[in-house]
Amino acid sequence: MSDNNKPTLTPQEIVDRAEAHPAAVPFLWLGSKQTQRNFIYIPLAGMIIFSILGFLYPPKYPTLWESGLRYAAIGFFSYSFVVLMARPLFKLLSRPENYYGEDGEDSEDGEDDIEPVDGEGDNV
Amino acid sequence: MFEFLTSFSPAFILIAAGVLAGFIPSSSISSHLRKVLLVGAPALALVLINTIYFSQNESTYLGGSMSFANIELTTLRIDSLSIIWGYIFCVAGILNGIFALHEKCKITDTSALIYTGAGIGAVFAGDLITLFIFWEILALSSVFIVWRGGPKSYPAGMRYLAMHILSGVLLLAGLVIYGRATGSYAFNNIGIDAPGGWLILLAFGIKAGFPFLHNWMQDAYPRSSVTGTVILSVFTTKLAIYTLARGYAGTEILIYIGAVMTVFPVFFAVLENDLRKVLSYSLNNQLGYMVCGIGIGTQLALNGAAAHMVVHILYKSLLFMSMGAVLHRVGTIKASELGGLFRSMPYTAVFCIIGAAAISAVPFFSGFVAKSMILAAVFEGGYFVVFAMLLFASAGVLEHSGIKVPYFTFFAHDSGKRVKEAPWNMLAAMGITAFLCIYLAIPGPYGGMQYLYNLLPSEVAGAAKFNPYTASHVIFQMQLIMAAMFAFALLKRYGLYPAERRAQILDFDWTYRRLGLALVKWVSAIWTRLGAFATYKLKNFFSNIGRRMYQVFSPAGTFSQDAPSGIAAVMISGMLVAVLLVVYFL
Amino acid sequence: MDLLSLFPEWVLVHGPAAIVVLPLMFGALVALSPSEKLSWATTWIVTGLSGLMSLGLLLQVISHGPIGYAMGGWKPPLGIAYSVDALNAPILLLISVVAFICTIYALPSVVAEVGPKKRSTFYAVFLLSFAGLMGMVATADAFNVFVFLEISSISTYALVAMGSSRDRRALPSSFNYLIMGSIGATFFVIGIGFLYMQTGTLNMMDMARVLQDIGPGDRVVQLAFAFIVIGLGLKLAMFPLHTWLPTAYAYAPSFFTAFLAATATKAALYLLMRFTFTVFDPSWDFISTALMVIIAGLGTIGMLAASLQAIFQSDIRRVLAFSSVAQVGYILLGIGMATTLGLTAGYLHILNHAVMKGALFLAVGAFWYRFGITKVSDMRGLGKTMPWTMAGFTIAGLSLIGVPGTVGFVSKLALVQAAAENGWWWAIGVIVVSSVLAIVYVGRMIEQAYFQPVPKINDRYIKRNEAPLMMLIPLWTLALASVAFGINSHWPMSLAQGAAQVLNDGPILLIRETMPAIPAIPSTGGH
Repeated sequence: MSDNNKPTLTPQEIVDRAEAHPAAVPFLWLGSKQTQRNFIYIPLAGMIIFSILGFLYPPKYPTLWESGLRYAAIGFFSYSFVVLMARPLFKLLSRPENYYGEDGEDSEDGEDDIEPVDGEGDNV
Repeated sequence: MFEFLTSFSPAFILIAAGVLAGFIPSSSISSHLRKVLLVGAPALALVLINTIYFSQNESTYLGGSMSFANIELTTLRIDSLSIIWGYIFCVAGILNGIFALHEKCKITDTSALIYTGAGIGAVFAGDLITLFIFWEILALSSVFIVWRGGPKSYPAGMRYLAMHILSGVLLLAGLVIYGRATGSYAFNNIGIDAPGGWLILLAFGIKAGFPFLHNWMQDAYPRSSVTGTVILSVFTTKLAIYTLARGYAGTEILIYIGAVMTVFPVFFAVLENDLRKVLSYSLNNQLGYMVCGIGIGTQLALNGAAAHMVVHILYKSLLFMSMGAVLHRVGTIKASELGGLFRSMPYTAVFCIIGAAAISAVPFFSGFVAKSMILAAVFEGGYFVVFAMLLFASAGVLEHSGIKVPYFTFFAHDSGKRVKEAPWNMLAAMGITAFLCIYLAIPGPYGGMQYLYNLLPSEVAGAAKFNPYTASHVIFQMQLIMAAMFAFALLKRYGLYPAERRAQILDFDWTYRRLGLALVKWVSAIWTRLGAFATYKLKNFFSNIGRRMYQVFSPAGTFSQDAPSGIAAVMISGMLVAVLLVVYFL
Repeated sequence: MDLLSLFPEWVLVHGPAAIVVLPLMFGALVALSPSEKLSWATTWIVTGLSGLMSLGLLLQVISHGPIGYAMGGWKPPLGIAYSVDALNAPILLLISVVAFICTIYALPSVVAEVGPKKRSTFYAVFLLSFAGLMGMVATADAFNVFVFLEISSISTYALVAMGSSRDRRALPSSFNYLIMGSIGATFFVIGIGFLYMQTGTLNMMDMARVLQDIGPGDRVVQLAFAFIVIGLGLKLAMFPLHTWLPTAYAYAPSFFTAFLAATATKAALYLLMRFTFTVFDPSWDFISTALMVIIAGLGTIGMLAASLQAIFQSDIRRVLAFSSVAQVGYILLGIGMATTLGLTAGYLHILNHAVMKGALFLAVGAFWYRFGITKVSDMRGLGKTMPWTMAGFTIAGLSLIGVPGTVGFVSKLALVQAAAENGWWWAIGVIVVSSVLAIVYVGRMIEQAYFQPVPKINDRYIKRNEAPLMMLIPLWTLALASVAFGINSHWPMSLAQGAAQVLNDGPILLIRETMPAIPAIPSTGGH
């Protein structure tokens, strides 16, 4: 993986490439801030395209309000509703992690001990 | 040989293989042998089921009859409804076996084989008694898989066992009442109006995760081992779907139960941090669709439930497998601790995304060809409110399984964790499952959709010719998905998407894990105080009795000293007199 | 019935006499044998042959009905008759098979427990005792019963006394047994004498026929019944007459204890059934009263009292001996019900108890053989030091408690069903309480063996020291039999049902079926 190192790479990128799985190296851009920020345009474009198509093809199951956008609207508002409900519900229902007294402090890496023989020798 | 093997339920082969696996020692060479059993036994069962079903012309094959306490049992009934469950259970058994190849755990292998066998046996059970027997084997064998999750899974396993034993007891009570009243233990349509019908429905409902009876699932599944959760997620709940389809098709209350089941887990899934728990809620939500379809009970709806069951087993296994692979490598599955793992585990990430796409019903992924059948049936039945609830839940599925699981694991904020890619066998199992998830959704002569549709139980015109790939269906499904993704991106961008936090989220199980426990503790505290006094008195009483008994019966006691011959002889004479008195005068 | 065709015809014709005469003859020969190995081998072969012949007789009885045999060609009722029917054939098989299995065990055990010069004699006396028991069961002549009873008893006193090389307490216990046993035999022979006085015959079937004419009102007959019941009650350890049993079982050589516990009381129980049901008539008032009050009543008292005594014993062998008294109580309760179900249950328990108690005493002998253990408190850690022996002991112990899947459960269940059919709910209560007591006294030993640490000697744990294979094989044969017949109880159940059928038919049928068969014998006696 070192042969395609180019001088334009920043030191951070070199480290990232060295650490990453060889198959993932060409896709490291997926993790960049820029990608994550610009990702929104893909669903936006998709939503617009399919909404237009929705006007062209008559719906099979007409719903409560008759418009080509209805499934998009259902999707958008349902989704937003679910996510926005999360905050109040979290306040209402969340308790400390050891609320029932069953998960101790070690709960983060406690599951490791379920593998009696770890697969370290396995190749990938 | 082959004729012999096809003369009884293939479940027994799997269970026998499981018992055999338990006797294979744990050395590294012989554990390979156990793995051969683990993959080979379900494969053999698959071949046998296929052979039995297609070797005869009847639509229903009845066999494996046994006699038990003067009741004739039919342990093997293969018909158009049970065959599809049989096939997918065997396939799932093979895939689970491949996924578990790396693990050197005798208990998991043994119980997995018995568990798979019990699931297949229950599906092919022709009568309620056989069903009950496999029902209990299923519960008992699966709890060992739960317990493989380490010491912390022990209490969850006990709760799991308690729920399933309760389910078994209800089933037993119901079937006895039903059998006595109708004179037949045959397992056909029961209906809630039949005597004992409610009890049996409740028993099935526990296993199917009806609202308020669902907590065992989210409690136990996330606590099992890496492979355990994958195995568990397949059989128990889907068996319940089968029994509901067999016994309660067209029961209207199931429509509303199913609708509630699809909606409420959505909210919990958003809150949960443990991603395997998220998937357990998602599992519950998916079961809701199937229960709803069974409640509608038309042929289209039952076909939809069966098709959804098949594709659901595949994509839910795939998601659980990918999360299992992450847990295996990283050591945690909390969303708050993960992120950016696509750098280290790119193949797993791809498979997880395929699973997410399938569960979100993206066209050309398997969820798409199955879920719409249930939706169409609900719509044709005129249940518009239910239809709206199911649509809402579809958007919810998109949120928790479609976006949250892959996003927070493989993308999002880079957690800095750099691990190895999953072992080859996990990748192989995930690869095959991912292939099936896509293949079954491909229409046309080269795709697998025709095979899926041909297997569906009712071969009536409407069902067989159902075509999901109409322009409007594709377009509106894409609208829904794109809009939801846009909403996600928008909320994320403006910081409205709640961050994952570590917490315990309360669900209905609070009533028994906290309220019930507190009540029990209070009663026991009062009881202790009351009891202390009584114990003191009783102890005195019993120690007196004990002392007296010792004085009489012990070797030193009056009763047991070796009697001198003289005294014994006198006693014999006394006995003679006593016998004479009885004989003469009584 | 393919199995039956394997037996030569003379076995089926002369078998009833041969199974008694063979051990009697070889008993005399073995006493002269120069080598103890030879004595052992002879004993083993003779008991094995008797077992085979008993099996042949049993199969013949099942397929063709009762077999009669006139000793020396003298026709009954004058001559001595032997008769094998569904009631005694299983007991004959049981005695000879247990003797055969125990003899395997005897080789190592006798070397350890009996002085070198006495060993050949030991085997000779054992064969006599065996012959006595077989004779008691096979004969159809009342006085002959007494003769064989004395043969077996006297040889038993001698064998118990031979335990003195191990424990001197064997001598007083043997003496005690001798006094009590002699009183019992005397009572029995007095009873027979009274019967002879009234009927003028000693042949049981003839006796029964004449008794039918005399009827139930005769005082002498009633007196005879009382003497016979007490005399046999002593032999079978009916509750207050059991005082000889614990010490005799505790101090006899272990191999003989196992044999004694499995068979001796069973032969006496058989005689009790034979006399009460087929010589006397159970439909007579005084018999049915005595059955309910004396037999069933003392049986239930014995179940409770002896179980309580077993709990407080410190010596393992005495625990098991008292447990035997309690188990005899179960059998008596079944007999006392005098219904088909009750008799089936009682008879079944005779067979089942022999299997499990035999196994338990064999295991106890092995504990002594390796570690000299006789006390319950010394059983600590036996689960680790003698795992196989202890496992066999545990299986048989669980059977004694009546855990499902073992023979103990089968016969207790049958008994409970019989009591329920009779409406004897108190009896069910006693069975349950007695089973709980059995859990306590068996559990006490199992707890010591598995949950207590292995004892240390000089700061070192005692090493594992398993019993020799010659001991393990008989022990495990019986332990596995107790599981096998517990899971599939069809065969012993059918035997017990056959026996109950004979008892239920009462005296009349026995005469009709067996008598004509006997005159046929002398004509074939020539070859």
